[in-house]
Amino acid sequence: MLEHLLLQTILIPALAAPVIILTRRAVGRKAAWFARLGLSYSTLLLLFACLELARTGAPLLESHAFAGPEITFNLLGDGLSLPVALIINLLCLALSFYADHYIDHRIEAIYGEVDEHTAIYHYTRFYALFLLFPTGFMGVCFAANLIGIYFFLEILPLPLYFIMAMFGYIDRVRVAMICLMWAVFGAGFFLVGSIIVYYASGSFAVAGIQALAGSPAATWAIAMFLVTILAKMAMVPFQVWMPWVHAEHPTCIAGLLAVYANVAVYVMLRLIIIPLPADFQIFSTPLMIIALVTMVYGALLTLGQTDIKRFAACSTISQLAYSMLGVCSMTTAGIEGGMFFFLAHIMGKTIIFSTAGIIVYTTGIRDMRQLGGLARKMPLTTALWIIGALGLAGFPPMNSFPAEWIMFTGIFKAGLVGSLTKLVVAIGGAAAITLSVVYCFRSVKIIFFGPLSEQLAADSHVKDPPLSMSLPLLGVAATAILLGLWPSFILDLFHQVVGPLAF
Amino acid sequence: MLQVQDPLFCAWLAIILPLLGVPAIYIGGRLNGGLRDLMAVLFPIAAAVCCLLLLPLLFHPGQLPLEASWTWVSHPIALEIGILLDPLSLLLALVVSVISAIIAVYCIGYMKGDPGITRFLMLVNLFIGSMLLLVLANNLLLLFVGWKLVGLCSYGLIGYYYQDQRQYWIGGPEGEAPLTTPSFCGLKALVVTGVGDLVMLGGILILYHYSGTLNLMELYRTAPQWFPVMAADPGIVVLVSIMLLAGPIGKSAQFPLHEWLPEAMAGPGPVSALIHAATMVKSGVYLVARLLPIFYIGRWVAHCENASLFFSITAWVGALTAFIAATQGVVAKELKKILAFSTVSQIGYMWIGLGLAGLTQSTLVAGTGSGIFHLVSHAIFKACLFLCAGSVIHSVHSIYVQDMGGLRRYMPYTWVCMMIAGICLMGVPPLPGFYSKDAILLVNLEVNHIPIFVLAITTVGLTAFYTTRMLALIFHGSESGHVQHLHREGHTPHEAPIIMWGACAVLAAMIIALGAIGPQFAKLLDSGFAANLTGTLKLPLEPIAEKHGFNYHLIVTVLSLGGILAGVIPAWLLYGTRERRQISFRPGSLFRELYTFLWRRWYIDPFYNLVFVRGTLKLADLVALHIEESYDTLVHRRLPALVTEKVPRLLLQLKTESDNFLYVGAYLAAIFTAAIALALWH
Repeated sequence: MLEHLLLQTILIPALAAPVIILTRRAVGRKAAWFARLGLSYSTLLLLFACLELARTGAPLLESHAFAGPEITFNLLGDGLSLPVALIINLLCLALSFYADHYIDHRIEAIYGEVDEHTAIYHYTRFYALFLLFPTGFMGVCFAANLIGIYFFLEILPLPLYFIMAMFGYIDRVRVAMICLMWAVFGAGFFLVGSIIVYYASGSFAVAGIQALAGSPAATWAIAMFLVTILAKMAMVPFQVWMPWVHAEHPTCIAGLLAVYANVAVYVMLRLIIIPLPADFQIFSTPLMIIALVTMVYGALLTLGQTDIKRFAACSTISQLAYSMLGVCSMTTAGIEGGMFFFLAHIMGKTIIFSTAGIIVYTTGIRDMRQLGGLARKMPLTTALWIIGALGLAGFPPMNSFPAEWIMFTGIFKAGLVGSLTKLVVAIGGAAAITLSVVYCFRSVKIIFFGPLSEQLAADSHVKDPPLSMSLPLLGVAATAILLGLWPSFILDLFHQVVGPLAF
Repeated sequence: MLQVQDPLFCAWLAIILPLLGVPAIYIGGRLNGGLRDLMAVLFPIAAAVCCLLLLPLLFHPGQLPLEASWTWVSHPIALEIGILLDPLSLLLALVVSVISAIIAVYCIGYMKGDPGITRFLMLVNLFIGSMLLLVLANNLLLLFVGWKLVGLCSYGLIGYYYQDQRQYWIGGPEGEAPLTTPSFCGLKALVVTGVGDLVMLGGILILYHYSGTLNLMELYRTAPQWFPVMAADPGIVVLVSIMLLAGPIGKSAQFPLHEWLPEAMAGPGPVSALIHAATMVKSGVYLVARLLPIFYIGRWVAHCENASLFFSITAWVGALTAFIAATQGVVAKELKKILAFSTVSQIGYMWIGLGLAGLTQSTLVAGTGSGIFHLVSHAIFKACLFLCAGSVIHSVHSIYVQDMGGLRRYMPYTWVCMMIAGICLMGVPPLPGFYSKDAILLVNLEVNHIPIFVLAITTVGLTAFYTTRMLALIFHGSESGHVQHLHREGHTPHEAPIIMWGACAVLAAMIIALGAIGPQFAKLLDSGFAANLTGTLKLPLEPIAEKHGFNYHLIVTVLSLGGILAGVIPAWLLYGTRERRQISFRPGSLFRELYTFLWRRWYIDPFYNLVFVRGTLKLADLVALHIEESYDTLVHRRLPALVTEKVPRLLLQLKTESDNFLYVGAYLAAIFTAAIALALWH
């Protein structure tokens, strides 16, 4: 079971996808259980790997030949990649349950009343595409060479494109195209950066990147990678795709979209900051400034939204910048805290996005101004939204609280030992969290508090969703709280990689 | 390993028990209402018992401090979980737990029959546990956890009536002032205090950078080493002072972050008593007292002049707030808002005491002792006032004092309790408010800070005025039209049930008891703080100079009593007469302008509303509706269209009927090609 553990986590979802397609005629909707069982298995594998790594401190390295010595399919499961992969896989698993009812709702909304055969066709098609997400994410996490990372980064836009086009909301084909184009835009720069690394080091291996240290090629490679990363993370001025893409996707994958964007911070750490810290220094302050601007801009953009899905989408812009700020501080605490915040954010955002989906699913309303008073009829949904809001706003006992604390310890350190600009950014960053509190809890007030409209009061459909939708989110919330109380489980693993680098 | 008889074990239990009460109340609520109510009072009472078991330690300050901690996070920074028992934390834990237990009992009567009572009681227990965590934490991280949690509970309890039914709106009376909903009030409290919290977080992290620790005792012990290093970096001490004080300013509702507390009165009565009078708002005072030794060392051991700023800001913020809030209380019409302004004002006194403590080497113990003494006495008498106010509002179904009058005959027990607490608030001897307030005024004279002293003495008069006005309008004079209307409707005002007035009576008895031992209690506090500050922490002190030849005690007493009379007499003449008179001022007159100025709360709240609330929303609209939309149009429509014009034939080939977005593809491909060419060329 444990042999080729990392490879299994990539291949199992990839293989489950065709199995779903092939068996759907025979087993119908139950084919989705291949996805859930596969993801449960890989989540357990990753949990085991994390526990083993915590116990032994020995990273997993798997070598697989692919196309000659230069392009290998080597996989690395270390203190950085394993916990990230575990949390992402856990979210994929939770959303695979959550999607059950939701995707039926989308099929009905888009394709109308269809016969069971057609419904199963759409339903299983969704799950088959859905499994490309864990495949891509696991690949990005574990791939030990640039071509591998590029390959998996390129896989991810495919399910995004098709799921958006088939199950998305208004203007979905156009938005799917926007999504794809931005992905291609980012991937192109990534490819250029990889080629620069190859020419300068003679290898596509991630471990070989540090050979560029101090050379002009390092600056160019970093610049190319950074364009990709900034575009993926929707940093200002590349934020413009995020509200469209996140808002119009079916909500059952919106949480994974947050992962899709945020995983870039992991890539940044892996490809730039760890191998080329000295060369990255000149980018540090400008990127921190960009992050601060994005935090504030994204928060204001969020405050200006009336659409519940765009609200969640725009908050992602602001929240992604926190991780960027932490990692770019170039301090151990900033990096580890920033990475931990990345995990906290994707969990909080999965809860918020999915809860927004529940509201749209039950009320059919996206305009927050037409909502209000839902707490009376949907107490569990309200609790979920508040938990998500607590996560985004960094309140204890959510995992974002220790993440913010540790991250800002590093950011302030960077400010105090570095330039005055960094100190100003640090203070501005801490103060900007206020805006997160404002938009998170203002949304609670608008959506859930106040009087319930007569229309919603009379609507018998307006009630808490089935347990298959709420239980997975409660599971994510419980995990976020558990990690808030026991952050060492993740932080100690991060420290195995980041600590020895002595930033 | 902690033993059962270990005081630290008791302290841990005091924190954990109310937290355990949260699920217990939920389960009880699912099973049986009586069981739920039992759980709701059992856990807070058990926590209070745990704290009372620690009381003997206060009389033996030599045995303190006691500390226990465990590592929570080892990497990348060391963070710990632990508790600290010293005179300050012990006293605060006692005040918090005992008053909370009394209020928890009152809640059962007050909230009886409310459909959300389970949620309410859960939040109250969570609050008590969090507040005890805050005061017993041995490090700034854990303190901050408690700090955030109490803020969250406060948000939940202020906005308890989240459906915003009309009867729970505050503000007004209609037509005179805007009305606000409970959900808005909760949000306002969370955001305003949140601003201070996050700025304070920055201050803590800067402190950590220089000290390398968040542990309070270690911070004190090592301050002589790291404070000079911090002071060597220009501006940092000033920055840290301001940032660290931002949190307490917000939490304790001090100027300029004081405007949330009057709106916090949207919560049920016991919430105002528990959170917004007796406990949470005191956490700011507590934190200032906690940080005080650090800056004292900075000023008087490390000889960093800038460290004085911490004390000056504290004292001035306190003085200004005490005065501003008292003037607002003079014209307030809502009963609980009068008490809220009063709370803000009285906390200002505590800040004065703590601020003055560090301005000289001779007033450290007296300043700290007087500030904390006032905290204790205020916690008791203000909790009593709020609980009585809750009973009154419950009885007359109105939040406005104009709608009351002559209630003494209907609510005799409540009247007695509220009179005792009100007289204590005014600072009349021999009640504890007299001793504690005068101790602060005395320190003021010792430091010779005349401007602050003048503000403080003026506030004494204002306090007496608004308290007399409030008591007169509620209990004396003739009955208001509203009360007469209640009679006609068959709803004669009535005394509160015994569970409610009993809780008030216990607090009133505590006021009298504390008054009886006032001077001895002050000495106990002074000896406790002296043992801690000069014994354990070894802070340098100078004896109080007696060169001036004046009897400051006598001066303070005379001026203080004079101030009280100056407030009570006009207030009684205006409001205490049998006939209820509508006081009106001629339009355009100075009094009219002054009244409007005070009624509009010095225009501070409207200003904040205009700049921060509406300003931020306008900015958000500008970003969302103009900047982002224009940018989106530019990137996703205009630029591709521009490319179309340049290479029309190519794009005509690419264009399909269904998908114009191949234009975008072409555009991006062009950028790519250029970028790759550039990179390879280089």
